[in-house]
Amino acid sequence: MVKKAQVMRVNPKKVDTCKQATSLILDYLTGELDSKTKRAFEEHLMVCPDCVSFLNSYKETIKFTLSLSYEDIPSEMKKRIRRFLRDNIG
Amino acid sequence: MIPRRHRVTKKELSGKGQLSGEDERLLIQRVKAGDQKAFEAIFNHYVSRVYRQAFKLVGNEADAEDVVQEVFLLVYRKAKLFLGKSEFSTWLYRLTANVALTKLRQRKKDKVVSLDDYMPKFRRDGHHLIRPVVDWTQDIDKFVAVKEFNQIIQQAMDQLSPMDKAVVMMSDMEDMPNPEISETLGITVQAVKARLHRARLFLRGRLTDHLGYSPT
Repeated sequence: MVKKAQVMRVNPKKVDTCKQATSLILDYLTGELDSKTKRAFEEHLMVCPDCVSFLNSYKETIKFTLSLSYEDIPSEMKKRIRRFLRDNIG
Repeated sequence: MIPRRHRVTKKELSGKGQLSGEDERLLIQRVKAGDQKAFEAIFNHYVSRVYRQAFKLVGNEADAEDVVQEVFLLVYRKAKLFLGKSEFSTWLYRLTANVALTKLRQRKKDKVVSLDDYMPKFRRDGHHLIRPVVDWTQDIDKFVAVKEFNQIIQQAMDQLSPMDKAVVMMSDMEDMPNPEISETLGITVQAVKARLHRARLFLRGRLTDHLGYSPT
């Protein structure tokens, strides 16, 4: 069960707390906050170094996830799958 | 009715290069009619993409191989269910996601990790419980090699629920828009966002913890 409180459904005009700011990060990064809420979020960042640090590490985490790389399919495996399919769809 | 003029070309069969939309449509028509050469062309063209997508979700070669096998078996047997309302690649992507999610759900959980342990915690007044929050992004290079960080992220990804993992994979690794993730996984956009945010907070918490700071 996902905790719904993690993402704010109603955008506040004022962002007084770090808890509020944290709940707005996702929409802030995708540009989905309305202009008033965005301004309020950024005003909170101006006075809260903790939230700036938190936001930076949140963004860096996304970058690390994006940078995960994966190998191509091994050629032997491709051959095995091809054989399997030939045996099973004939 | 399959147009007679279309024959599976050597280039199509090799899976190399781009398939035009029209060529792909004709190949799929042939697959629907049970043409094995056309199926082989589709297999060769898409197998690497399906494998990478499967691997990202299931996290190991053996399970990814099972997923690829099953996906292409389904493509051959259920091709008729593809009505052409979306791109074939989108249909295939959804099929792969669903087969991989089923595989993940069947897997026995090794160790239950509490996501809450890595979530940010707040004081009654709504400010961060542990202050200062350390900005480890400033000197990340000093701490660990990127490879090590990638391992931590991968391990943490494997500790997410199958659905959360799928959401992160689609959003942060495939850059898929939330409405498309919502459609692919059959959950609301709001649920996609909630899962994504919570999963990112968890991944961030794991990285922060690994660096020796409080994840909360």
